[in-house]
Amino acid sequence: MKSVKNQPGIQEKEISGNIVQMSRSRVIQNKKDDSSKIWEFFCSVKLAVVIILVMVVACILGTVILQERTLDEYTARYGYGLATFFRVTQLNNVFYSYWFSFLLILLCANLICCTIKRWRNTFLQTGFILTHLSLVLILIGGVVKFQLGVKGGVNVYEGKTVNYFLTQMINRQGKMDYIKKDLPFSIALDDFILEKNEPKYQLVSYVKDKDRQKVLEVKPGKRQRVPGSGYKVTIKDYIPDAELKQEPINTSDKPENPAVFVRLFGSEDLAAEGWLLANARNSYDDKKQNLRVEYIWMPSQEELDKAVSSVGSSQAKLSVTISDHTQDYPLELNKVFKIEGTNYSAKMLQYVFNYGDRRPVGEQPMDNPAVQVEINGPEGTETRWVFEKFPDWDKMHPSKYKNLKLTCSGIESTHMAKNTVRFLHSPEGKQVMLYIKDKRIVETIPWELGKKYTISGVGSQIMVSDYFPAFDFKQEVVKKSDEIGVPAIFVEVEGPSGKADDWLFSNNQYATWYTDNNLALVYESTGDSIKHFTSKLRIVDNGQTVAEKTIRVNDPLKYKGYVIYQSSYDPEAGNFSGLQIVKDPGIPVVYSGFGALCFGVIFIFYVKPFLRKKTKKEMEE
Amino acid sequence: MSLINITLIVYVVASIAYIAREIWPSAGIRWASLGLFILAFCLNLAMVTKRSIEAGHPPFSNLYESLIFYACCTTFVYIIFEFVYNFRIVGALASVLSMLILLYATLQDDTIRPIMPALKSNWMLVHVVTYMLGYAAFGISFVTSIIFLVAKPFVKKTHGSSREEEKEILPRNFDKLSYKIVAFGFPFLTLGLVTGAVWAKKAWGDYWSWDPKETWSLITWLAYLVYLHTPLVLPKMNINKSKAAVMLAIWLLISFGIVNFTFVGMNYLPSAEDSAHVYGSK
Ligand code: HEM
Repeated sequence: MKSVKNQPGIQEKEISGNIVQMSRSRVIQNKKDDSSKIWEFFCSVKLAVVIILVMVVACILGTVILQERTLDEYTARYGYGLATFFRVTQLNNVFYSYWFSFLLILLCANLICCTIKRWRNTFLQTGFILTHLSLVLILIGGVVKFQLGVKGGVNVYEGKTVNYFLTQMINRQGKMDYIKKDLPFSIALDDFILEKNEPKYQLVSYVKDKDRQKVLEVKPGKRQRVPGSGYKVTIKDYIPDAELKQEPINTSDKPENPAVFVRLFGSEDLAAEGWLLANARNSYDDKKQNLRVEYIWMPSQEELDKAVSSVGSSQAKLSVTISDHTQDYPLELNKVFKIEGTNYSAKMLQYVFNYGDRRPVGEQPMDNPAVQVEINGPEGTETRWVFEKFPDWDKMHPSKYKNLKLTCSGIESTHMAKNTVRFLHSPEGKQVMLYIKDKRIVETIPWELGKKYTISGVGSQIMVSDYFPAFDFKQEVVKKSDEIGVPAIFVEVEGPSGKADDWLFSNNQYATWYTDNNLALVYESTGDSIKHFTSKLRIVDNGQTVAEKTIRVNDPLKYKGYVIYQSSYDPEAGNFSGLQIVKDPGIPVVYSGFGALCFGVIFIFYVKPFLRKKTKKEMEE
Repeated sequence: MSLINITLIVYVVASIAYIAREIWPSAGIRWASLGLFILAFCLNLAMVTKRSIEAGHPPFSNLYESLIFYACCTTFVYIIFEFVYNFRIVGALASVLSMLILLYATLQDDTIRPIMPALKSNWMLVHVVTYMLGYAAFGISFVTSIIFLVAKPFVKKTHGSSREEEKEILPRNFDKLSYKIVAFGFPFLTLGLVTGAVWAKKAWGDYWSWDPKETWSLITWLAYLVYLHTPLVLPKMNINKSKAAVMLAIWLLISFGIVNFTFVGMNYLPSAEDSAHVYGSK
């Protein structure tokens, strides 16, 4: 291989030999001049190069222009004019167009002609003949597939049997058509198994002023720098299955964070109990009885006296902050309002009590109240969810109008249960219980700790059994098990305002911010991905089981020329198995083409030069 | 310092050594530069091995893994050629090429993720390895073409005087060298294409479905096929030889651009969103 004296290319001498041969044939067969010209044309490498180059262009077009979409999609994307142009020129289906088929036929003719013309019964020619004919085989196989093959899919539920499948194509009107094809046998899905990978977890950092997100290593004990910033993060502890134990405690006698422990009784038994915090989670909704229990701390005796005489509740509102100036707007759906001090306008589209909950608003628990807001400004329209409990949500999630900070409050008050029991409490120690029915105060009773009161309209009883003036949680992270459940890491962050540490739970989808509010950390699952999915199939032909196999991706089942592949699964519930059904009688032809091609190229580029060198050496000797 | 940074530095040092060897041709620097390059290869191979052990699967399930493997193959193929031919400045650029590939890898998401079921196949293993070796050869032919094009106007007809230079391939002959390198790589590309089709048949039920990634790998194959056939055409077209050589060298540069587009540029196509084979789409 050391010699480079040979011309690049595959033997120039023979080519000139061909030219001589050609001109001689011209002299002899003058009459057949035209036909020999055509023959020469189909034999020429020039034609080959031109065809290949045109194919390259066609292939590029076929990937740049979206293929086989519906007419509507084309019109939406490219406009009517271009869409029509694509349809007429078949650029919307390049690889199955008439002109591309013509190209392939030309290619085939070229391959066959040049092979015939150059046919020599010498061993060295093996590679040339094999490669060129292999391509012809592959193309023939492709035609067979196109003419006689079918490909489609069907979703089967566990325990069910199918004897058909569906194929998909774009019809002449540019619409998607599904065609049902019958199978000459039926397929029973006896079992479908979806196996998931163990979930993996990652620690993601976000530096706000750089707007940069980066995945950090989860290696306990290792101090690592957050790329592109001065923060250093050390993971100090890791628990594979952690739980945050919270024990309510009272820290003072002064009413710093007043809370009451309320118990609700059905006819006899305890129906519900829990803490109500005046400053945070101050209500409980019992959907079944349409009952709401509230605990409201009144700032003074006078305020309490006022509250006893009227129902009036706080107003739900949306607050808009722009360059440190905050403006409130009452919650009113579909009313367009101008945001003061800007040329933006906004509109509240809907509110929910529990974001992501599919039930009607009225049936949702008050877990994650949110308002959806549409903002219109110079950069166009943006819709954004604003969460009452997570006022910093929009900081973590980039949006068009970054300068606008939206928060909301009091969404709960849009909801008024039929029955409400409201515990009022004032610093002077006055305690009044209101029973409100249909927005009217029905009863006013002073309440005492540990006493049961009957709610007349509902038939259940209620009791305040404990009162903490300064409610707090004693928090403790405990290990529940050694298996991976809810992993948590204890992270220490060093930054401009010193060291700070906290537990990060993988089931907490909200970021934990460092004290300077510039670094956020999220410890989250990378999503539980699918390890594999398998279907236990049984083929039934004429009422008899003729084949059985558990198929998986990369391992299909074959029967009567049909091949059944595992292709997908029900992404939501994992209930059905997606099968792909393929029949392609061209496969043997194509695969022999593949084999010949591989063998051919290896021969041309490795074996032939080696043999050449050997004969050359022998001749020199 | 992390392994990847050390590897990058060794690539740079190796590149400098190759330039030094061009200026002061001595056997000592020759071996030193080759030694450095082999060291870089070992480090790169260590990266690939470490990654596959950590991930628990062959290291080509995402773009990051494929890129470090690609760099490794490029270095490997170069070293083979260095032993077969007496190369000149090629090593300096080959080293830079591998370094750039690695550098590009550092920009990618390097999280280890579980591999999807379709990737668990031996066909896929053969497919990727052959493809990467093919791509690596084309990378080297890209380098030789650049050197050919740059050197052509300068070194017209200087005759090699010393015996050492006689044995060496002069840059003005790099057109023939490029051809040999492509001829080495093309069977790998063909094997990669065919095994890819067989694998697709096994995993997705169809050996060819004109998926954008498939189509672009066909385009790549066709581009080099044109390159291999043109030497048969050009002599018939009264183009002078030196002009033809320049055209072929330029065609190789374009073809390598196509290789890289097929490898990483695909994601920018409008049709990539529903391709089954584009990195990182799922
Ligand atoms: C893997 C693919 C291919 C390889 C390895 C290959 C290889 C070769 C080789 C080695 C020669 C020279 C034969 C000799 O000098 O004895 C040749 C010539 C030729 N090839 Fe290909 N080829 C391939 C594909 C194609 C394709 C797709 C076409 C397009 C139709 C084509 C058309 C031609 C033509 C027309 C000649 C010239 C024959 C002549 O001079 O009479 N080849 N090819």
